Amino acid sequence: MTENDFNRRDFLKVLGWGGTAVALSGCGNTSIQDGQETVTSYVTLPSYVIPSISNYFNSTCAQCEAGCNIMGRVREGRVLKAEGNPNSPINRGRMCGLGLSGVQAHYNPDRVRQPLLKGEAIAWDKALGVIADKLNGVKGAEVAFLTGNMSGHVQALLGNYMDELGSKNHFSYEAISPAVLRAANKKAYGVSMPRYRIDKARVVVSFGADFLGAWVSPVHFSQQYAQFRKGNRPEGRGVLVQIEPKMTLTGANADRWIAVRPGSEGVLALGIINALGKAGLAIPADIAAASKAYTTERVSSETDVSAEQIEKLAALLKERTPSLVLAGSAAEGYAHGSQNAAAIALLNRVLGNVGKTVEASASVPFPQIAPTVGNRASLVSLNDGLAAGKYKVVFSYGVNPVFSAPAALKFKDNYAKADFKVAFAQYLDETAQAADLVLPLDSAMEDWATVVPEYMVTPEGAGSAAYAQMSFRQPLMDKLYPDTRGIGDILLALLKQRKADKYKEFDDFYAYLRSAVLKNKVALGGKATDDDDAFWDETLSKGFLPMKGIAGTVSAKASASDLKLPSAAADRDYPLRLIPSISASMRDGRNANEPWLQESPDPLTTIVWDSWVEINPKTAAKLGIVEGDIVEVTSRSGTIRTQAYLFPGIHPDAVSVPVGYGHEAMGRYAKGVGANVFAMLDAVFDKETGELALNETGVKISKTGQRVLIVKEEGPVGGSQAGKKKIAVQVAADKVDLSKEV
Amino acid sequence: MQHILRLFILLVGLFAGTGSYAADAAPKLTTPDDLGPQIEQPIEFPHFRHAGDAKDGGMQINCMYCHTYARRSMVAGIPPVQKCIGCHQSIESVRDKPRIQKLFEYWDAKKPIPWKKVHDLPDFVRFNHERHIQRFYFQQDRPYQEVCGYCHGNVKAMTVAQRQKPLTMGWCASCHQKDHPVSANSTETGHGPNDCFTCHK
Repeated sequence: MTENDFNRRDFLKVLGWGGTAVALSGCGNTSIQDGQETVTSYVTLPSYVIPSISNYFNSTCAQCEAGCNIMGRVREGRVLKAEGNPNSPINRGRMCGLGLSGVQAHYNPDRVRQPLLKGEAIAWDKALGVIADKLNGVKGAEVAFLTGNMSGHVQALLGNYMDELGSKNHFSYEAISPAVLRAANKKAYGVSMPRYRIDKARVVVSFGADFLGAWVSPVHFSQQYAQFRKGNRPEGRGVLVQIEPKMTLTGANADRWIAVRPGSEGVLALGIINALGKAGLAIPADIAAASKAYTTERVSSETDVSAEQIEKLAALLKERTPSLVLAGSAAEGYAHGSQNAAAIALLNRVLGNVGKTVEASASVPFPQIAPTVGNRASLVSLNDGLAAGKYKVVFSYGVNPVFSAPAALKFKDNYAKADFKVAFAQYLDETAQAADLVLPLDSAMEDWATVVPEYMVTPEGAGSAAYAQMSFRQPLMDKLYPDTRGIGDILLALLKQRKADKYKEFDDFYAYLRSAVLKNKVALGGKATDDDDAFWDETLSKGFLPMKGIAGTVSAKASASDLKLPSAAADRDYPLRLIPSISASMRDGRNANEPWLQESPDPLTTIVWDSWVEINPKTAAKLGIVEGDIVEVTSRSGTIRTQAYLFPGIHPDAVSVPVGYGHEAMGRYAKGVGANVFAMLDAVFDKETGELALNETGVKISKTGQRVLIVKEEGPVGGSQAGKKKIAVQVAADKVDLSKEV
Repeated sequence: MQHILRLFILLVGLFAGTGSYAADAAPKLTTPDDLGPQIEQPIEFPHFRHAGDAKDGGMQINCMYCHTYARRSMVAGIPPVQKCIGCHQSIESVRDKPRIQKLFEYWDAKKPIPWKKVHDLPDFVRFNHERHIQRFYFQQDRPYQEVCGYCHGNVKAMTVAQRQKPLTMGWCASCHQKDHPVSANSTETGHGPNDCFTCHK
């Protein structure tokens, strides 16, 4: 007993009575709190604003390169949600999860809010002054500008700026880009990005093209896919076959998913051509000669696909025309990736799909705003230049190579060799942290821009190969932070430093954009007699403009003459093939600081907030690994530690780790979540295009002895769901007996 | 026993202390007559002058002339300062009154007026003005002062508005359980909705 005799029990007793008294006195009380809050009225109010009622403004999504047209739902001056623009030929009113989380990129608390010089906040005038200083006496050839994919008027301004500097060093880099596909398409069809008509095909055979998840223009392809799957269309319900070593979202939707040995996709394509020939399809002589050696038995042993399956596939393709064969990122990520893609393109020629389901696309009539597409080769050349000390001032915008360059390139060390590095950034990501000067950018919901998507769609009804589209991005709300600026405004300010006279009529990027668009009113679908203001307002309210493009043609000139497909060689030290998987929401990791994306479960494994390594249960049994084991995945270039997930949807020779995780900076939701698979990739490149061979890294796996419970949505393997013993219901396949056909 | 008493007194003192502190900081939640507290506004707005009956010197302005969103939105809306000025810039006779001078001070500085909320529902309650105004005013053709008065009381007699109805869930429900004529020219009646989801969503 203490001196004043309060003990715990007494205290609780008194507290109990006191609590009751308080509760009793609260009878009839409500939580209405009159007079506690202010309800501040507007001073003036635009006529279209009604408090509590939303307005919609059309804009363009900035979360990936597809350039979907969106509507921002805006209430009382704040953007609440993005929705699809129903008139858009690209996404026809639909959205994906990545696009929906765009508002989180806008409201993100980790955005950079002031210009930072070596970490110290400074004023804009001073920041721009520092750039002018540093550029003083530097030759144009010593300045490099690194960006991601670019298009529209920001690109035109950048081009002007580079001209003013006298520099030709604009590098465009995307960590994950279909660059091999572009090159292979150019060779096979004469255009680098033809229009794929999944909706017209009766069967689609996709070699690792995750067109429903993360490939080229997924929302658009999902729409086509919905048409393709309709039982009542004249061509009948389409059949999808997906061939890939690691199951993607598209693979999970396919009628038949075929696990192919990693790297042997091209061999399988030639095997199918051979089987088609045997089944009686007329094959051009050169292709027949090239595929002659690829007998079903040989292909079967090289690819791990049964002979019966290959013959079934050939029969299906022969019977159902038109068909469409796609070569996706899984087939391209090898040293012979271009060869794989070329072999797969041959299939389209043999099947007569070119011109039917592989259509020509239009090119943009204004080259300065046409999309610049990024690739790895560009990064490698920048990296070599940096290593050699060629560049003194380096700008970067919209890319994060310090995070996403393969470790073997040592990009971070080389980047540090430049005297002065300027990063235009919305977050302090790895590249911005390594830069000397960071200039804060507006979010896509605050900024002006025009976007010309690389993948041009065919709009319903228009039917014209000459259709190209310019999309407009307009601010959906006022700036959250007064000191952020749009990239267009920054470039304009930099241009004014050098050529004040030429740009003095433009107060800001908006003025530049408006005048540039109105100057080309007629080419952009307007009439010369249209009132400028009316045309501009109508354009913004529509959100995009059709442009009369330059029609292209596709040619079936795919040739088999220089095909060289190596057989896979076994690697004793690193026996497993690492497949860095590209998830629909995380992509290359630029959106990792958006918690909705971290939290939305991966569609196949249902894992959240972490990375994992997918191992086939057979392989795992051999290695003695169970789900949740923390394993070390080691390649020649690095090691990561992550949790093991046993997944039957992966070839036993391969393991898969998602990319985009494992940030060391970028913000509170990205930092330290998962492991960065880029940090362990070998620097192996595609022999023709110089593109990084993403899947060419051999790894070995060892247990660390630690084990965790994986945080995921699915129930325990083999367990019952919601206490029911039997939940699978046998439903008769509608109209098509897939087991016989595929 | 003594130490329990001692502790009790201590705690009561503590409650009283915090209670009196709370009373200083903000008006009480309830008043004995179930009315809301008198709330001090930045400008004492004379509702009786604007909305009051002509015989009392009022101008009988329709509530929805200023609270213009009530008929088409969840919220009734506080008029923008512009709206006050719209009339008052041409009413010279009251221009020198202290309230009007204050109004013009806000307008000249382009500053919004920080009105205090008089009717404040908890965040878990969703009340929609539009539904009620459309039903009673436009469909059933009742006088607007009666319709607004169901919840807001006799505002036209007030200087600064004060809450006159408890706005508790029971009070809302008591009204929803009454039979109301469906329209002005029919004898059919109906209740208000009585689902939790109607207000709590």
